[in-house]
Amino acid sequence: MFPKPLEKSSRTWQISYQLLLPFALILWLLPLLAVANFSIKPEADFVNGNYWGLPSSFEAFSNYGRVFFDSNMPRYLLNSLFITIPTVIGAVALSCMAGFALGIYKFKSNLPIFFIFIAGNFVPFQILMVPVRDLTISMNLYDTKTGLVLFHIAFQTGFCTLFMRNFIRALPFPLIEAARVEGISEWRIFLYVVLPLMKPALAALAVLIFTFIWNDYFWAVVLTQGPDAQPVTAGITEFNSQFRAAYHLMSAGSIVAALPPVVMFFLMQKHFIAGLTLGAVK
Amino acid sequence: MHSILKTSLAALVAAGVVASSAAADGHALAGELNIISDMSNPAPRAVMEGMAADFGALHPGLEVNLTIVDREAWKTQIRNALGANPPDVVNWYAANRMRPYVDAGLFADISDLWAEPAFEALASTKGAMTLDGAQWGVPYTYYQWGVYYRKDIFEQYGLEEPSNWAEELANCQVLLDNGVKCYTIGTKFLWTAGGWFDYINSRTNGYDFHVALARGEVEWTDDRVRETFANWRQLIDMGAFIDDHQNFSWQEALPFMVNGEAASYLMGNFAVAAMRDGGLDDTKLDFYQFPVINPDVDFAEDAPTDTFHIPSGAQNMDAAKEFLRFVTSADVQTQINGGDALGQLPVNANSSIDDDKFLAQGFDMLSNNAGGGIMQFFDRDFDAEMASVGMEGLQEFMVFPDNLDDILERLEETRARIYQ
Repeated sequence: MFPKPLEKSSRTWQISYQLLLPFALILWLLPLLAVANFSIKPEADFVNGNYWGLPSSFEAFSNYGRVFFDSNMPRYLLNSLFITIPTVIGAVALSCMAGFALGIYKFKSNLPIFFIFIAGNFVPFQILMVPVRDLTISMNLYDTKTGLVLFHIAFQTGFCTLFMRNFIRALPFPLIEAARVEGISEWRIFLYVVLPLMKPALAALAVLIFTFIWNDYFWAVVLTQGPDAQPVTAGITEFNSQFRAAYHLMSAGSIVAALPPVVMFFLMQKHFIAGLTLGAVK
Repeated sequence: MHSILKTSLAALVAAGVVASSAAADGHALAGELNIISDMSNPAPRAVMEGMAADFGALHPGLEVNLTIVDREAWKTQIRNALGANPPDVVNWYAANRMRPYVDAGLFADISDLWAEPAFEALASTKGAMTLDGAQWGVPYTYYQWGVYYRKDIFEQYGLEEPSNWAEELANCQVLLDNGVKCYTIGTKFLWTAGGWFDYINSRTNGYDFHVALARGEVEWTDDRVRETFANWRQLIDMGAFIDDHQNFSWQEALPFMVNGEAASYLMGNFAVAAMRDGGLDDTKLDFYQFPVINPDVDFAEDAPTDTFHIPSGAQNMDAAKEFLRFVTSADVQTQINGGDALGQLPVNANSSIDDDKFLAQGFDMLSNNAGGGIMQFFDRDFDAEMASVGMEGLQEFMVFPDNLDDILERLEETRARIYQ
């Protein structure tokens, strides 16, 4: 299941591994490094064709300053928060309850309902573009944060329910039976018995959904426009004027936009990996 | 900016320039004025919001509702917007781009506005706003195209601004002999090649022929079109353009000029800001009008024009027309095209422009030296599908000029299919 520990392999392999690792790492990070480099360059470097060299002058302060103080970027970042956090709360709350019902109760349509949740994950979301856009327009939710949040919750709940149902299935069932014997209502069993046991799953899922939604670009472009509702991923293009692409500002904006998920990842690394493997390995 | 605009407007009203329009209406404007604008980039957005607010302040009885739609999205949304529950004023583009909506009866005929004396100041674009003998909209901004060149390189090799094709070719030969390319261009996104075709074709065969070709009335395999390509090929065969230009966007082609590997760039005025950022100040950068090829035809210039139109289903026609008078008035055009706003050229000949060498030359050129007519650029003058097939052909021609026969056959097939 796990790769063989490095210490057990031959000395030559260990050395070549250690030599190759930095190369692979740099190759892997090259696009990101380029964006980071672009973000501290003056605009003149792009007109002069100095794409890959060192910045001709160090403009980090002015570039990032403009991103934060001279653009709608803070607004877009706030929008992203206002879209991502309600979505995480909504999707996780709904899927906990759905997962509890599907994982604990035995009823006839249990499996079919569960399969419907799973099947939703197999729908390529791009084909929903036109109907969803029309729906949000006719519900007067087009170009609002609410519209985006509702759609994200609806679409993420399928995956979350699969995740939660399997997690709850794996909990020891006798715990619930014991609670029932004590005469505790089902609602309280969910709140006081099952929910505390689901903490690792909750954390893992929340981190996962946070990054999914924060990084969403497609729906942000389809369902919103302008600084009133658009999240940061779509708002970065605001740095482009009608004729020119402002590479330096877009790069700085991208770095800023990418930071929250990265910070989230480092703070919650344990949960993130748990989220990806939970249920995959018993 | 707003306060300046308001002050100038107050002056305008006091001067009685609007008096004629006020008299025409005879009553204060009331009700709602619904505007849908595609000025979605930050600076144009601020301009549009400012204009709507100022117009509302001028007409307290009128409720001005402004909706701003993403500029790209608007290109597909306009048909819907004009069809069902149309607003009173919309943004669009001049010339052939109006054709689908004029043919479908979705734009209102505003020839009566153009007949007013105040509109004589907009004469330079009247042709571009005219289809089927009537006018369908008003311009609010445009910008010139032309050859931007490195003055210092020209001086170094003792070159003058060329005024005809022979001088142009001679200049180019001198530059090439000294290891400098004559022109930088980036054709990755195709449209830049369209500018070259517009100029060489209109200088070879004249504005009327160019427009006829754009309307699909002339075959691409016509000998006159071949003559255009033969002139263009002279430059290509000399090696006048930078190598591998199909790999660059227009911005990525700038370094060749900034670093002195190429001497000039046929481009729109928006390129000036980028070149200045790259360190080319006014001592190194200059502008000339594309030279004469055929002395029998008058100058026609590319000056893509952005416009306002009234949908034929507009509810508040009086207010809409008053708004069009407002946006075309000299003072408003001066304000919205200023360096702190759109930074382009006002169409109204009575407007003043910012103190900028290139804007001044462009304004003078378009107002006084474009007797042939104003072209709207290849992808606006030609039918959209024809333009996209056409620009692919132009790029291919620039890279493989020997394929010309194939390319023209292909364009002719497309033309026959689209315009039949």
